[in-house]
Parts: sequence; structure tokens; C-alpha cells
Amino acid sequence: MASVHESLYFNPMMTNGVVHANVFGIKDWVTPYKISVLVLLVEMVKSKRMALIERRRLNKLILPLQQGPDLTLSQLLKTVEECAPKMAATLKIKLRDMVAGNLRDMESFFDTLPNPFSESESEASKTSVVGLFMRHMLLAYNKLSFSQVYKLYIALQHYYVAGTGGGTWRSTADVDMDLNEMELTGVEDTAGAKAEKEELDTGPMQEAELIDESQRRCPLSQKQAEYFLVRQAYLLKTDENKALKAAALQEELNNMLKFNPDFAEAHYVTYLNSMRVQDIYTSTHSLLHYFDRLILTGSDGKSNGDEGYGRSLRYAALNLAALHCRFAHYQQAELALQEAIRIAQESSDHVCLQHCLSWLYTLEHMKGSDSSVLTEDSVKMAAHFCLPYLASLGIQSLVQQGATGGKTANKLMDALKDTDILHWKHSLSELIDISLAQTTSLWRMYGKSTMAQQQAQLLLNMNSLEQVNYGVQQNNTEPFAVVLCHLAELHAQQGLFGAASEILTHLKQQFPPHTQHAKLWMLCDLKIQFERAMNDGKYHQAEAQVTAIAALSETEGLYRKALVLKAQNRSGEAYGVLQRLQALSEDGRSTEMAVRVMLTTAELHWESSSFTTALPLLLRALALARQHHLQALASETILHLAFSQLMLGVPEQALNILQEAMEPVLAHGSLLDKGRALLLVAKCQMAVADRAGDRHAALELAVHTLDETATYFSRLGCRERLREVYYLQARLHHLLGHTPQRNKCAMHFRMLDQELQGGGTQPVTRL
Amino acid sequence: MTENNLQPLSSLQEDVQDFDALCLAKSYFDLKEYDRAAYFLRGCSSQKGYFLYMYSCYLSGEKKKDDETVDSLGPLEKGQVRNEALRELRAELSKKHRAGELDGFALYLYGVVLRKLDLLKEAVDVFVEAIHALPLHWGSWLELCNLITNIEMLKSLSLPDCWIKDFFLAHMYTELQMIKEALQKYQSLIDVGFSKSTYIISQIAVAYHNIRDIDQALLLFNELRNQDPYRIENMDTFSNLLYVRSMKAELSFLAHDLAEIDKYRVETCCVIGNYYSLRSQHEKAALYFQRALKLNPRCLGAWTLMGHEYMEMKNTSAAIQAYRHAIEVNKRDYRAWYGLGQTYEILKLHFYCLYYYRRAHQLRPNDSRMLVALGECYEKLSQLVEAKKCYWRAYSVGDVERMALLKLAKLHEQLNESDDAAQCYIIYIQDVYSCAEPLEHVEVSTALRYLGQYYFKNKRYDEAALCAQRCCDSNDAREEGKALLRQISQVREQGEAASADVSHPCVFGPLSNNNTPVRRVSPLDLSSVTP
Repeated sequence: MASVHESLYFNPMMTNGVVHANVFGIKDWVTPYKISVLVLLVEMVKSKRMALIERRRLNKLILPLQQGPDLTLSQLLKTVEECAPKMAATLKIKLRDMVAGNLRDMESFFDTLPNPFSESESEASKTSVVGLFMRHMLLAYNKLSFSQVYKLYIALQHYYVAGTGGGTWRSTADVDMDLNEMELTGVEDTAGAKAEKEELDTGPMQEAELIDESQRRCPLSQKQAEYFLVRQAYLLKTDENKALKAAALQEELNNMLKFNPDFAEAHYVTYLNSMRVQDIYTSTHSLLHYFDRLILTGSDGKSNGDEGYGRSLRYAALNLAALHCRFAHYQQAELALQEAIRIAQESSDHVCLQHCLSWLYTLEHMKGSDSSVLTEDSVKMAAHFCLPYLASLGIQSLVQQGATGGKTANKLMDALKDTDILHWKHSLSELIDISLAQTTSLWRMYGKSTMAQQQAQLLLNMNSLEQVNYGVQQNNTEPFAVVLCHLAELHAQQGLFGAASEILTHLKQQFPPHTQHAKLWMLCDLKIQFERAMNDGKYHQAEAQVTAIAALSETEGLYRKALVLKAQNRSGEAYGVLQRLQALSEDGRSTEMAVRVMLTTAELHWESSSFTTALPLLLRALALARQHHLQALASETILHLAFSQLMLGVPEQALNILQEAMEPVLAHGSLLDKGRALLLVAKCQMAVADRAGDRHAALELAVHTLDETATYFSRLGCRERLREVYYLQARLHHLLGHTPQRNKCAMHFRMLDQELQGGGTQPVTRL
Repeated sequence: MTENNLQPLSSLQEDVQDFDALCLAKSYFDLKEYDRAAYFLRGCSSQKGYFLYMYSCYLSGEKKKDDETVDSLGPLEKGQVRNEALRELRAELSKKHRAGELDGFALYLYGVVLRKLDLLKEAVDVFVEAIHALPLHWGSWLELCNLITNIEMLKSLSLPDCWIKDFFLAHMYTELQMIKEALQKYQSLIDVGFSKSTYIISQIAVAYHNIRDIDQALLLFNELRNQDPYRIENMDTFSNLLYVRSMKAELSFLAHDLAEIDKYRVETCCVIGNYYSLRSQHEKAALYFQRALKLNPRCLGAWTLMGHEYMEMKNTSAAIQAYRHAIEVNKRDYRAWYGLGQTYEILKLHFYCLYYYRRAHQLRPNDSRMLVALGECYEKLSQLVEAKKCYWRAYSVGDVERMALLKLAKLHEQLNESDDAAQCYIIYIQDVYSCAEPLEHVEVSTALRYLGQYYFKNKRYDEAALCAQRCCDSNDAREEGKALLRQISQVREQGEAASADVSHPCVFGPLSNNNTPVRRVSPLDLSSVTP
């Protein structure tokens, strides 16, 4: 509290009771750095003989130097030196002269400043960037009071001393500068003493200086602070890991606010930062504080105009809604949103209304109700008001809803393609990312793993449209997380567990567990582990994963629970869970889950040898999967159907429908599916061999198919299935009379059997 | 600088030696030429000389800091202007402190330096030490008071057993809003012989102001004015009270009086501001509050009051600004939070202002105004359950404006909970009749009208008739009252026996014993909607 007391001083520029955040109307203040830049500019104008290449490099440097944050002298000299070494030396000499002299030198510098620029043949005219900068500086300098000028000079001396490693100019000091020297050594001593003291004393100032890599002595200037905030906010949005750690950033912001309580943007970054650590209390507080401040800086009086604080009021309410939405307080969010909509309507601010609408459908969607009508409206309106971002965001949302709702694939893809054109036209890089991630998910859902993989790679390898200088190519936004998770799962499905785990480690690095999107990879990781445990027959391990999965996703957890129960032969319980799941997935929001539940239920029916009852269920599943173009699931259903037919004694029929499913399975399916399909084919082949003309050839074919199956299963590590394969192969070889091969297979079988002590009973009734 | 009263009679050798230098330095010091004072004291070895030397150094640094802030090199530099002398002072004082060479005054200075350097924990220890060394130095007590944030901290300190400790405790209790304890302490101080102390009277008056016992506070302030007519301290509080009671003449008198005594005092400006505000000259009022802030930018009350003025002038953005400033100075200023809430409510952001009202409510859990405001917002948002809770709670903590029950009743009416609505109206009417204040006819007649209809519907004609008769007393409900009476007599003529239930409560007769059972809307858990 005390600190606030201290920093609150009366502002002489207070008019009408309102202290404007940027009180003095100008952001430009003469600083030692600015003087150095001015010196550099003067020298550049003066020196007529300069190599063209050097001049060009220097010219390119002017803008960043003028607009960038203050640099230390050593940084500045280094930058200049890289372009023109001679110029750097001149700059240093000129500055030294100014510093080593007395106040008069600086005054005369500013007095003569306009001269080099006002010459008619000068390259820097009054209206040019350089001329403008120069005049700004001159104005600012002339506004300084007597003591301020002196302070500026002292600051310049400090700046020079700090920048050149201390007192290099002293050796060259003339005898007649004795007086000055005394004074200046005094200055230097106090500076040194100060530095010592600061080392001893860990006051709150210290942390303020740890910004970025460069150590700064003083608190940030306005521009530096702005730059810092913009950069941190940008990083928070795109790549959280590169931003400062939450605690450090907060400390930084607190410091900034301590020095300048009017710096509203810092409150906003505080809000972002608190969201990062899920601190609703601070984030609400900061958000409201920010808007309280923003309302002031907006022009007062015009409460309903497009500009002015009426506008920020609307957005304040909207942001509050977004905040509650983020924390899943849907009721609160709705209230805030209603408020935003109401005042936006009152002042007929269509753009704001549009934003509200897009939040409204998001909210509806999050709450679990159907919002497609709202979304469509939103898209139409956004297109009408020329808001490409909102329009294509709406389309993407529609695509998502359409995908789960069973819209045809070509329509969805068309829509995405159209939005892509829009994105590239307006350089909406965020939406491009989302679009690619969405395409990946769509292909994955449709069971085209190759296409999914290709889209994922496209996103990961795409050059970002964002500014290059932040060095962010692959940032940690949601699309990247989604795509990487897909990739990990796809790799795991192909038995490339090493690659999958590598991707997951990368994800863990990129999205540390406390961050917003971490849940995505956590779920993905658990799923992969679960599948592996199930394949390997380690059901107790899988059971442990189930609880973790359930914490992240309820339906997924239930489904996996059912799988484990089924595998442990606890059919009754499994059936109960499946019933619940079916009820849950009946609202049509997750067709994939519905189909999978049916398949699992059918498998349960098999266990009680009631293959006929499984058939209608499977046919329903097939219809649903086809209707939604879920090819992978459709093929899996066909496998199930074929198996049922095989068990019902119509292997020819089974083989027939298998023909249909084999192609997509082999092209896109996971290793497990491939193996299962081939095993099934082999079984059917064996079954039809008796009736076939050439029994021997048919059996040979089956053996061959089994060979392939064995490679798949061994790659996945499904030892139980592998054992079955070896058993069948041994029997076949026996029938065919290949004794050595039979013995080999038998040995393999025996070894595996010994390894798998527990699972003595062979579950015949499974795919 | 009362602590610097020179005592030339001191017997110490050093004091005698330094006496001349000390006198010279003290004169310079009184002229605010701190550096000069310090220069002539640099060789002094006496405790007094040393303290004055250090204190001059400190004040010189502070003065320079204040001067610096005016012409700093840019808006962001203003925060980094620091008292450069602090670090050196701390280094030297801590050396001497370790050696145990500091007296009570020097310890006090050391504590101040530590506090300015934000080393609060150390500062507390040093102040306690200073108090032990010199219990009668009120400055140390006051500084310590600023550093204590809660009652536990207060209890954990070991303070010397001195009569001045009671003053400190009473002051502390007032600060911590433990008004009852504070009043007790002050009373006991009066009993043991401080009955003539204007300080105590003013403190008690402020305490009464804090618990909104306006009559008592006014009484005491008037007494204080009699005893100490040229007093300016605390008069802003007095003017607040006069403002609340709309005592225009008294406020005008006070304002003119104070302006005569010293018009460049923060208190004077606040009083004049209040005066103009009461006369609805809000621009002028804001001007005077601004002047108060110019004189002392840390003056919390003025920021809030200025916010109120801007609210009156419908300049919402300036009001928000002023309130925010008030909050920045003191986060626990509930009036500023409440004011912010009101501002946003005026801007029709009912959900938005909930947050601010909630903050205000947190700070003053037993203040019905916030609860009523919260309830109104919830009502606007059609969150009727929450609204009911708020109103009921507002009534339970003692509703100052007597609106909560009425609003609650209307809510019940809306929700067709006629029994509950009737109960609320009954209590409301009892409340109104039990206190001597003039009746607000509109609201009372609404209640009576509803009750009449309610009893009529429940076939309790005696009560209904009573209510209807009362209705006839007021102007706007007379016709309805008569109509109801006619209806009742009709029904009675038809020979239907009035099945009045004796056990039911009735408004006027048996109700005076206050046994009305009211269904409580419980539990009063406002947190269910608080994120």
C-alpha cells in the first residue's frame, strides 16, 4: 500500500478531473539515446563521402533506430559498427566531445541541429522521417525546464560512461578541463557507488532490470514498456513458452504499475497472465481495471458514438463474457454476453454485435446445445459487414458441427476451401492454422490416415505469416497441439511407438502440463498407452489408464472402461456401461462414439455366442458409419459382420464382403486393423478350403496371409493374437505336411504360450 | 516537529557543547533550509544534534524528491524519482543501531527510513523498539499504526505498559473498524481524567460517524466546535454528517467559518466541496475537491467525493477515473467500489457492476446498501433467487433505507408466492408504524392494498376490512380501499361465515408482539453465484 502512496503524485496536467494516461500528448522525450541517434543523423548528413554500400546500410538502420526502444550506447555502437565502422568511431568521438565538455556543448548541439537539415540540397527535408524526428526532438528539448536540461546532460554523461565501459575519454582530457574533470569524476564515483549499493541491496528495482537479455539500469521508458507489453502479449497468444514465466512476468508488471499506475495495458497483460495460471480472481480484477482505465483514455462525453468510451464499455462486457466462458462459468458468461448485446444494440454497433453473436454460438456450443442456426446467421451477417475473420471463424465452426452432424464430406471440404481463399486474401494466419488442423481432423475422422498425415505435415512445415523477427515458426497454439496429437496417434497406430513418444515429448515441452491446451496431449498420451496395454493383454495397466482418461473426457473414459471390463470377461458390467454410453451418445453429437459402442456391444453378444443378435446391431452401425462417411469405422464394422458370418457358417459370404473392406483397410487402416482383417481373411480361406477345388492351394494361400498377419501383430506387440496366428499356421503346415515349418511355428507358439502364462483360455470369439 | 523542543537545561556535557550549533541549526530547520541545518550540525556528538542532523538529511531528500517529480524527464520517469538520501541514511542508522547508540527519536527516524524503503517488517521492529525507548512520542505510535494490518498482528506486538498505549489501542481499533472496542477505550480514558481532551472527543465523533450513528456524532462535533472553535482537523467528517442530514444552514456556516480560518487546508476544501454539492453546484464542488487533492494528493476522501460529484454531473468517465484513484490509494475504500458499481449501473451494465458491488459488500458485509444494490442488479438480471437472498440479508443486517423488505415483498408477489409476500408486507408495515418517522404513503398503501386483497382471498374478512380501512386513509389507495370494503360487506351479506383463523397473524392487533413467523430464505449464500 505504501508504494502506491508514494507513486501517486498530483498531476499538473489534470484537466476536468481526468488525468489522461498519456498526459503530455507526446511520447517522444529527449533521452541520451535519442541524442546519440541525432548525432548519428547529423554525421550522416554531413559526411558526403561515404561508400554507397555503407550509406545504404545506415539508411536502412534509421527507422528501427528511431522507432525502437532505447538501446545502451554499447549496443548502439555495435549496431552502427556493423554497418559502417568509421561512422561508429565518429559517433563515439562526437559524443565524447559533448560529454567531456560542459552543458554548453549540448546546448550548442541543439542550437545548430537544424542547420545541416535545412540546406536546400540536403537529403533530409523537413517533412521526411528524419526531418520529422529531428523537429520532434527539438520541440521536446525546447520544452524542457532549466533543471531538466541539466538532468538530461547528467543522464547523457551516465549513458556515455556506462556505454563505453567507463572513463575512456578521461585520458584524453585536456588540462584546461580540470574543473570539469573533477565534477565528472564525482559523477562517475556516485554512479559506481550506486552500482555497488544496488548489488548489495536487493530492492524491488532489481527485477525490473532483468527484462529480456539486456540488463537495464533504469525502469522502462514508455516505448520500451509498450514494446515489452506487446511482445509479451503476443508471445502469450502464440507461444507461451517463450514468454516470461508467469511469476516473473507478474513481478515485472507489478513493477511497471508501481512506477506508472496509469499504464492501463499492463493491467490487460496481467489479465492474460492470470488466465494462464487459471486465477479467476486476479484476472477478473485486472480485466475490469483495464477497462476502467480504457474508458478514461477514450474521449469522454460521446457515450454512443463509434469511438469514445461507449465502445469500450461494450467490449468490456464482451470480454467479461469471454473470461467467464474460458473458466466455464456458462451462466455468468451468458449474462455478461446478454448485457454486451443489449448495449451494442442500443448504440447499433454492428461490428460489436457480430462479435457478440459469434461468442453466443460458441457459448451455446460449449453448453452442448445445437447452435448451427445461430452460426449460420452469424456467418451471413459477418459477410454482410465485411468481417472476414468472424465470417470464416463461423464457417469453421459450422464445418465442425456439420462434420459431427453427418454433412457430406465434399460440402465440408468445399466450405473449408472457400474459407482458405478468404484467409490467404486477408492473411489471417491464425485461421489458416485452424483450417489445416480442422482438415486433418476431418480426414482422420473419415479414416483417411494418409491424407490426415499429409495435412498435419503441411501445417507443421508451413512458413508462418506472422512477423519473422520474433522467430516463431511453430508456435504453441491449439491447432498445432491438435495436429501434433493426431500425428502421435497416427504413428502409434502404425506401430511406430518411438516416433509417437518423441512427438509426445515435444508436445510436453511445447505445452507444459499447466497450460491451456495440455489436456489434448494428455488424453492422446493416455489413449496410446491404453491401446498398447490392451494389445499386450495387460488389462490391469489399462484399468489404471481408464481413471486418468475419465478425468479428461467422460465419454472416452466410459468407453475405455467398457473395453477393459469386456476384456476381463466381466460382461454384465461392461454391458451396463455400454448402455449408459449409448444413451449419452444418442444425441447425435458424437457419431463415432455411437458406432464404436455398437461394435463393442456386438462383440459382447459374440461372447455369449449369439452371433445372430449381433447382426442387426452391426448393420445399424454400418448404416450409421456410411451415412457419416466414417470409412475406417465402416470397414471395421464390415470386419465384424464378416466375422459374425464366419461364425454362423457362411465363410463364402464373409469372404465376399471382406473383399469390399480389404482395400480401405490396407490403404488407410491401423496396423491392428490390417492384422485383424488379414487374420479374418485367412480364417475364411481356411473355412472355404474344404469346399474349394484345390484344397492345397487354398491352404497355401491362407498360410501366406497368416505370414503377413504375423508381421503386423509382431510389430504392434499383440502377443495373444500372434500366438493364435502361430497356432493356426502350425495346424496348416501340419495339414500341408510342411514339417519343418510346422515345427518352427509350433516352437514360436510354445514360447509365446509360456510367456503368456495367465491367458490360458483362448478367446475364440474375437476378431 | 514537536519532538524537537529544545531543552537547554539538559545536564549532559555534550548538549552544552553543541548548544549553539543546535540552536542555529534548529532555526534553519524551522525555515526549511534542511541542507544548511545539516551542514552546521555535522560535527555534533550529542543525541539531539545527531537526530536533528539525520532528520534534516532525510527531509532534504524528501523535499528534493517532491521537487523532482514536477520536472522529471518523461511520464514514466516520475515513478523512479526516489529519495536518494534514504540508502545512505539507512546504512548509517543501521550501523549505529547495531551498536545500540540510537535514542528514541533516532530509532523513530530509522523506522521511517525503513518504511520508505519498503522494508516493512524491519520497520515494525524498529518502531516497537523506539516506542520502548520513548513511549511518549506519539509519532512512533502513529507510524506503527500505519504498518499494522490486522488484529492478530496487533496482538502479537509487545508494547510498553504506558497510559499512551490506551490511546494507541483506541486509535488502532478505529482503524480496524472495531468501533465498539474503540468507544469503550475512549470512554475509559475519559473516565480516568481526559474528559477535556478535544482529541478524544473528535475521535469518538469519528467513530460514531463510522458506525453511522449520525445524531451522536453531530452532537459531539457541535460540542467540539464549542470547545475548540478554530479547529480544522476532522471538520471534513463533520461536513459529511451535515451533508447526509442535508443541514444546509449549518454546513454553510461551517464552510464560511473554516474558509476564514484557513482556506488552503484539505479539510476546508472538502467542506466547501460538500457545501457546493449540497447546493447542487456540482462543478464548483468538483473544483474544490480538486483543490483538496492538489494540496494533498493522498487524500482518500476527496477522490471518492469527487467521483460522486462527477456522477451527479453525469460525467461517468471522470467519475470512474476518480473512483479508481481512490481505490488505488486505498483498496479497502468501500465507497469507491460502491461508487464504481453505481456508475456502471447508470450505464445499464447490470452484470458488470455486480463485481463492484460484491467488492463493496465484502468490505462492509453488514451494510444493507450494498446488499440492496446487489439485489436490484440480480433482479434486473432476472436472477430472482439471488435477489431474494440479497434483500432478505439486507433486512437482516438492519436496513437503513427500509426498502429491502418492500422489494422482497414485490419479488414474492411477482413469483406468486403470496404467503411470503404477505409476511414481508406485514413486517414492513410493522416497521414503518413502530418508528416515529413520517409515513411514506405510497409504499405503505401498496402494502396495505396487497394485504387487503390477500386476506380477502383467504377469506379472513376482519383483517381484510382493517386493511381496507387503513387504505382509505391514504389518498391514492382510497378508491380501492372502499371497493374492497364493499366487496367484503357483500360477501358477508351473502351469509358466508368468515372463517378467520385465529392463529393467523394480523397486521395491527396481535402483531405487536412481533411473533410473525417468516419463512427464511436460507441459507444466505451469496457465494453460489460468485465466481
